[in-house]
Amino acid sequence: MKFLKNLLNIKQERKLSNLTLLDMAYVVSLLPLLVMLKAPMVLFMSIVLAILIFKKTPVSQKLIFFIFSIGVIAVYLSLYGAFSFRGLSRLKLFLELLVYILIIVVSMQRLTKEINFYLIISPFLFLALSLFFYHSITMLIYVIFEVFVLLWMILAHRMSGDLMESFRSTMVMFMYSLPWVVVLFIFFPRISFDHATYGFKGEIQKHTGHDGTMYIDGNALLVLSDRIVMEVGFDKEVPPASKLYFRGSTLYIDKKDHWEPLAKNSQDESRFFYPTNGIKTDYKVTLYPTQKKWLYMLDVPGMTIEDSLLNSDFISTVKKNIDEPMHYAASSYLTSSYKDTLNSTVYKASTYYDKSQNPETFLVAQDIIKIFHTKKERLSAITDFFKNQSLTYTLKPDALDINRSTDSFLFDKKRGYCVHFTSSFVTMARMVEIPSRIVTGFKADKSESLNSYLAVKGKNAHSWAELYIDKHWVRYETTATASNIDLDNQILATKNKNKNPLLKKINLYLMYTKYQVETWILYYSHIRQLQLLNYAKNNPKFIIIFVITFISLIILSFMTIVYFKRPSYSSEALAILQPLLKALKKRGYIREKDTSIHQFLLEYIEKNSHQVKHVETLKKIDILYEKILYSGDDSNKTKLELKKSVKSCLKLQYQKN
Amino acid sequence: MLKSLKTFIQIHRSIKQHATLFSLIVVLFIFGLFLEAYMHDFNLVYITLFFVFSFAFSAGPIGVLNLGHLKSTFEPSGRLFTNQEGVISVKITNISNTTSWSVILYGEDSSINIPKVKEDSSLVVQLPYIPKKRGFFNYENCYLESRYPLSTARLTLPIKETYRGLVFPEPKGITLESFLNNEEKYYGEEKEFDGLKEYDGTQNITHIHWASVAKGELSVKHFTKETETQNLLFDFYRAGSNDEARLSQLCLWVLECEKKYLAFKIDMPKQQLDSKKENTDEILEKLAKY
Repeated sequence: MKFLKNLLNIKQERKLSNLTLLDMAYVVSLLPLLVMLKAPMVLFMSIVLAILIFKKTPVSQKLIFFIFSIGVIAVYLSLYGAFSFRGLSRLKLFLELLVYILIIVVSMQRLTKEINFYLIISPFLFLALSLFFYHSITMLIYVIFEVFVLLWMILAHRMSGDLMESFRSTMVMFMYSLPWVVVLFIFFPRISFDHATYGFKGEIQKHTGHDGTMYIDGNALLVLSDRIVMEVGFDKEVPPASKLYFRGSTLYIDKKDHWEPLAKNSQDESRFFYPTNGIKTDYKVTLYPTQKKWLYMLDVPGMTIEDSLLNSDFISTVKKNIDEPMHYAASSYLTSSYKDTLNSTVYKASTYYDKSQNPETFLVAQDIIKIFHTKKERLSAITDFFKNQSLTYTLKPDALDINRSTDSFLFDKKRGYCVHFTSSFVTMARMVEIPSRIVTGFKADKSESLNSYLAVKGKNAHSWAELYIDKHWVRYETTATASNIDLDNQILATKNKNKNPLLKKINLYLMYTKYQVETWILYYSHIRQLQLLNYAKNNPKFIIIFVITFISLIILSFMTIVYFKRPSYSSEALAILQPLLKALKKRGYIREKDTSIHQFLLEYIEKNSHQVKHVETLKKIDILYEKILYSGDDSNKTKLELKKSVKSCLKLQYQKN
Repeated sequence: MLKSLKTFIQIHRSIKQHATLFSLIVVLFIFGLFLEAYMHDFNLVYITLFFVFSFAFSAGPIGVLNLGHLKSTFEPSGRLFTNQEGVISVKITNISNTTSWSVILYGEDSSINIPKVKEDSSLVVQLPYIPKKRGFFNYENCYLESRYPLSTARLTLPIKETYRGLVFPEPKGITLESFLNNEEKYYGEEKEFDGLKEYDGTQNITHIHWASVAKGELSVKHFTKETETQNLLFDFYRAGSNDEARLSQLCLWVLECEKKYLAFKIDMPKQQLDSKKENTDEILEKLAKY
């Protein structure tokens, strides 16, 4: 802050020319567009910049023509391949071309060192154009900064290049505008056109731990990443931890080293009925680029998301891979089972197993079949068997024998994580004649939630089993059968728990803030507007909170305005004296510009010598003022004493009045 | 609060607002942003749009307060002569506790740029003015103008006061020196050193230049004028061919006499003006009013 103040003070002394102010405006407005410029255009801009730095006089017409030619070549090379007349119908390309043309024109005019109308308005055009290309929190912050700086430059131009004074005026004007911006943003009517999808993708990294297949060998997708896959905002509170299963895909076919879904066609029929048991919960999801087609919904989905397909297994997909953040509203019934009928394909797939592949498990299964006759009993028997095998949940399992993976896991290695548990459990369930399948997706961690916000991370990727019992698909958490948890895992878990809980909390709050900003600012829409109004209608308390918040904003703006509008004095001591000088002015004692404080006070004292106490205090003030200003005593103690003396002097004056 | 509002309304009433070209640009910019935001549901564009709109909206009261706290009064100006550039002095006082920026003072046919008027202070600015004829004149229709803060509006604050001044005749004609050279009678003790000449025995020995004697030469000081006249009298009718020419001539001589501290008299029709009885301004005023 002090550095900035110093910088501004330095600038203030020399006052900036209109051309420098314009240059500053260009730097700020061009910065976001620099990221999208192609190399030839960057080179072109570097040449122009070099000429501007090294040539202090206006350049000749010949050089301007030369620069123009280089610019045209740079545009041609930048858009080579992408450019065609047909391409102009693509808005992004058209805008890119506009940016390039504007850069060339501005460069040519700037080289003449003459300010014309077009040079003045171009920074605003660059601002408007850059808004087409970016839509993120970073850009939101930058846009506010950019708007502020452009206003600052306009005011600095009007105030003869005085940066410090214009900064103060900009702050005042900005704060005057802020409450209006907030009100307009919330209440300005929106329409429900879709948010345009053009612009730069940027994000190509996938943020998921879920895949359409489930490997159980070395290719197993074990993602311990803390990167957020999706953020969920519940309309009410976050459901209990045991219900936070986000459904991804269903796998039926055992391919030894991995499990696969059914062939496409057999699952393509749309889901036209939804479960009615369970608590209905509504929520909104922000899904980050996964480069996959799955949309995730809480188990069990209660609706089909717009522009997506929900198949008979309640798996939701979109046509194209998700390569940019996607926002969707969803609704689910929080239940662990739902009624369903099995068609022949699904029945066949969910009961198939190769008995030669895992003979040891098969033998145990045969025993269970002999002893237990109902599916529930058999399920209970498998659970007991798993528990008796003393299986260990570990994120560092030993490699299984892929040719007999279930046997290898249950009888030899006995160490694994969700995929190994689920794979073995489903295999054994099928062996005891319970149709079963694997569901992969995410099991969110409730400790990553705040209010109605829940963050789902890559490390929350999970798999579980679904068993068909009594005409219902029933979710079964297979890792619950583990008898032990690996020491390393425990240490890791404890470490994670104890590792800077404050940091974790701060991180969560930051994520929450980011999510709220995205939800309520970046993706604020007609629907949100209606939602807000409806909520306000039903909650008078909310209206009161809203009004109080708004009034607080106005007060904050007002305080900032008062702070920046305050007159600036040559010294702090003089600022302290101001209330006294104002009071004396009211009484008709006006200090002339050339009169020193000492002289002014002496004159006053002479005329009012009969007011002994008042005069004594004024004398003290005079001494203290001189002490601060001329004896180099600018300690806080002396300043405080001066303040007190001024106060007591004013008090005496009021008493007298 | 109410008092401030009342003051603001009063100020607002006294100021006239005119849209500028930049207001059209702002409207176009807002419209463009509106289309961009509305068609594509871009909240960042909405935010920019609302900021621009709010700035344009708040620029009004800010501009009004910037100009409205200025009080202007005419100050006694210097002498004004017909067809000669003079000045009209205007005192501008800022009665608020904030600085006023970017103000232009417009006179009848000139303007002065005032970058800032500091809070609780005043300054005197001088407007150039070339009067066309002598006599009393009214200087009016002056106003303060400002485009602060965004150049979107031209705010004008008229100065209601009218300045009543007097324009003296245009000082022109032959110089006093030429006049005196042509006069038969010389006036005063006037010696104007012209240079050194060689002594030929005829010159006054008091004019010998002793410094040159020391160098071995004998030079005398030569003066263009060595006159001695007791009375300097200007006659109105002899001063020119018509009244205006006469007044201009007399005005020139009066000013030259003032400059040289010479006493003079002017024989005017029906009256005589005497520099020992009246000061120069009074004499000039009489010439102006003739």
